[in-house]
Amino acid sequence: MPIERVRTDILILGSGGAGLFAALHAHAADPKLDITVATKGLLGKCGCTRMVQGGYNVSLHKGDSIERHFMDTIEGGKWLPHQELAWTLVTRAVERVRELENEIGCFFDRNADGSLHGKAFAGQTFDRTVHKGDLTGIEIISRLMEQVWARPGIRQLEEHRAVAMIPSKDGASLSGLLMIDVRTGALKFIEAQAVLLATGGGPTMYRYHTPSGDKSMDGLAMALRFGLPLRDMEMVQFHPTGLYGGAETRMTGTVLEEGLRGAGGYLLNGEMRRFMGDYDPKLERATRDVVSRSMYAEMRAGRTTKNGGLYIAMSHLGPDKVRKMFKGMVERCDDCGFDLAGGLVEVVPTAHYFMGGVVCGVDTATERPGLFVAGEDASGMHGANRLGGNGVANSTVFGGIAGDTMPRWIAANRGHRPPDEGVLDAEVARALVPFAAKPGDVNALREKLMDTMWNDVGVLRDRAGLDRGLAALDTIEAELLATGVADGNRAFNLTWHDWLNLRSLIETSRVITLAAIQRENSRGAHFREDFPEPGDLDSSTYTVARQRGGKIEMTNEPVEFTIVRPGQSLLADAAE
Amino acid sequence: MADTLQVSLWRGGSDGRYVDYAVPARESQTVLDVVTYVQRHLDATLSYRFACRVGMCGSCAMQVNGRARWTCRTHVSKVAEGGKLTVAPLENMPVIKDLAADMREFFGKWQRAKGRFAPSKTRNDPVEPIDPATPQRRAADAAIECINCGVCYASCDTVKWDKDYLGPAQLNRAWTLVNDVRDAGNRERLVAVSEGSGCHSCHSHQSCQEFCPVGLNPTRSIAGLKRKSLAAYLKGELKP
Repeated sequence: MPIERVRTDILILGSGGAGLFAALHAHAADPKLDITVATKGLLGKCGCTRMVQGGYNVSLHKGDSIERHFMDTIEGGKWLPHQELAWTLVTRAVERVRELENEIGCFFDRNADGSLHGKAFAGQTFDRTVHKGDLTGIEIISRLMEQVWARPGIRQLEEHRAVAMIPSKDGASLSGLLMIDVRTGALKFIEAQAVLLATGGGPTMYRYHTPSGDKSMDGLAMALRFGLPLRDMEMVQFHPTGLYGGAETRMTGTVLEEGLRGAGGYLLNGEMRRFMGDYDPKLERATRDVVSRSMYAEMRAGRTTKNGGLYIAMSHLGPDKVRKMFKGMVERCDDCGFDLAGGLVEVVPTAHYFMGGVVCGVDTATERPGLFVAGEDASGMHGANRLGGNGVANSTVFGGIAGDTMPRWIAANRGHRPPDEGVLDAEVARALVPFAAKPGDVNALREKLMDTMWNDVGVLRDRAGLDRGLAALDTIEAELLATGVADGNRAFNLTWHDWLNLRSLIETSRVITLAAIQRENSRGAHFREDFPEPGDLDSSTYTVARQRGGKIEMTNEPVEFTIVRPGQSLLADAAE
Repeated sequence: MADTLQVSLWRGGSDGRYVDYAVPARESQTVLDVVTYVQRHLDATLSYRFACRVGMCGSCAMQVNGRARWTCRTHVSKVAEGGKLTVAPLENMPVIKDLAADMREFFGKWQRAKGRFAPSKTRNDPVEPIDPATPQRRAADAAIECINCGVCYASCDTVKWDKDYLGPAQLNRAWTLVNDVRDAGNRERLVAVSEGSGCHSCHSHQSCQEFCPVGLNPTRSIAGLKRKSLAAYLKGELKP
């Protein structure tokens, strides 16, 4: 089938912090380059950078240091992070925040003396999180969007989804991306000298999840099919307090902020009992992973509300005070029909962030020439757990680095590389598969997937559950392939995209499950009830998944302690 | 609460029409949930746009019973009149298909209003100390939390009458920059918002501040721009 073909020099997939920074840096490095940003929704509006509530970790404040930020990141990641990537993250964050303020125009909150305000965030030994109220992501992405819109040299393809990476004719490198123009439904091949994968992760295969609704792990599903190694795929971060609005509502799973527990909020079970004391002496103020696991255990034991959730209670702090302290959260709950200030709001733990992703170097290069990766699609910076405030630092730091790297790479490797036409034809056919089968209920299969991942590959895991999950994924995939979408009007056909989303989610879910089977210990976000101990830190390994000939191979690779070893610290005072 | 909602949704392009659907009513249900139900269970070809689900991205605004709103944060019980809902794409923007509007012109005008920061420093300079209590910083802060959802723009009579009018969200953004002491582009910006269908075209009908889901007041921002513009004109910095 003949499809439209377009050429660009740099193709950027995604318009979050990583994608937009890459576009700006690449454009600044060489304004003559033809740069295209393709994004699944509207530029800067889809994706998750915009949803950042907390802020941006950076060691810019008096008394803090790069070394301290680094140690917090390594210890938070339970000694699994790739240390050079983590070091790059914390060092380059300093320049990136100054760039955000001085060049992009972000207007972060100030102390009374005019300096940047740093707020406290869980798991950190210094109050280093720079923010704009509790809507930091909106400030960052709105300002970035304006700068990109201001540069007509950066072409925009809004509502374009990527469906497959197409290798060059010789198979050695990447040629370009097969895409769907969502608005027209037409397929399009975009050939590029360099491509940045920055679609964002987003574990939306879980019953309860926080990321925006357009997220479906397309980037990692494509990378897997392209044969790239993926690391830390078992590491799914859960946030303890997702809003629970019942079935068939989009609001379910969205985050109620961390600060509610910090300020003294209670978690209650269906019997109206404050249960956290059964699990941890720090009660509701225990870390995200501990609270999530406790809530999950409580729910599994059946001590839930009649709808199947738990409660958060704030009213004992005084409804007026709660209204004032958490204005945004109170209004959000109120709009959706819940009284956070004076009543009880149902909550559930919710899948929040994906630490796993494509293996990459500090310059964002992957093992396939021409392909670069940044943001939540990349991996290694966070290890077994991400600190709150390191997510947006990660996407903007490495997005900018990708934008610096790609023009240099193009200068040294000039020219487009024609695609393998056979693979392109096969991928076109693959994207159209749902139109060949009899139309069915795609959403029912999505519900099945979310239950499977929640019950068997979720907050608490064991071998029997993981094996059950793996088998269920095969069944769901087979059912999806037999379930079609009516082929009438392909323009803005969300049901077709729901189908494609689901396929990406099933494929990445399988890797999560296999990686969770592979890791026979409990670190950070990954908890095995049959292997509850963290294991020896000195011989820590990370998992790598790679698809070869339709089969996924799992290996353990040793963590290289290139900067600091377990038991050591870069901080003078900590070494005493 | 009725068991069933009678829902009329706009289908097609600008020459489209309303189509009726019966959707089960639920206790916990937003307008976005209603639209989603139709796509999942009644008509798989329905097109609409959403992303964040919680009022942060501004992708899902639509006309709901005649008024522009975020559908993700609008509980059905607050808007359904006698169990009836009519949902259409945002006004004052071209329709792409069904409930999805084309926002390109909206963002084009954002640029025409010079709605972007013009740097005076670089990443190699320290972050500028700014006293949070200064009137300028407070004026910028009061208007800055716009998520560019287009609700004010869709509700603005001036936009309806004058297709060239820059628009409330765009002028509101310009006002935050006029109050940003770090910005180096304000001379040019003041020219951009003063000429043609700029701030002086606003008739202060106040729809923008009435309908803004974030509670911002673009009318006040535009009034501020008018004052600045007039002062600059009197000083001879702007041509008539």
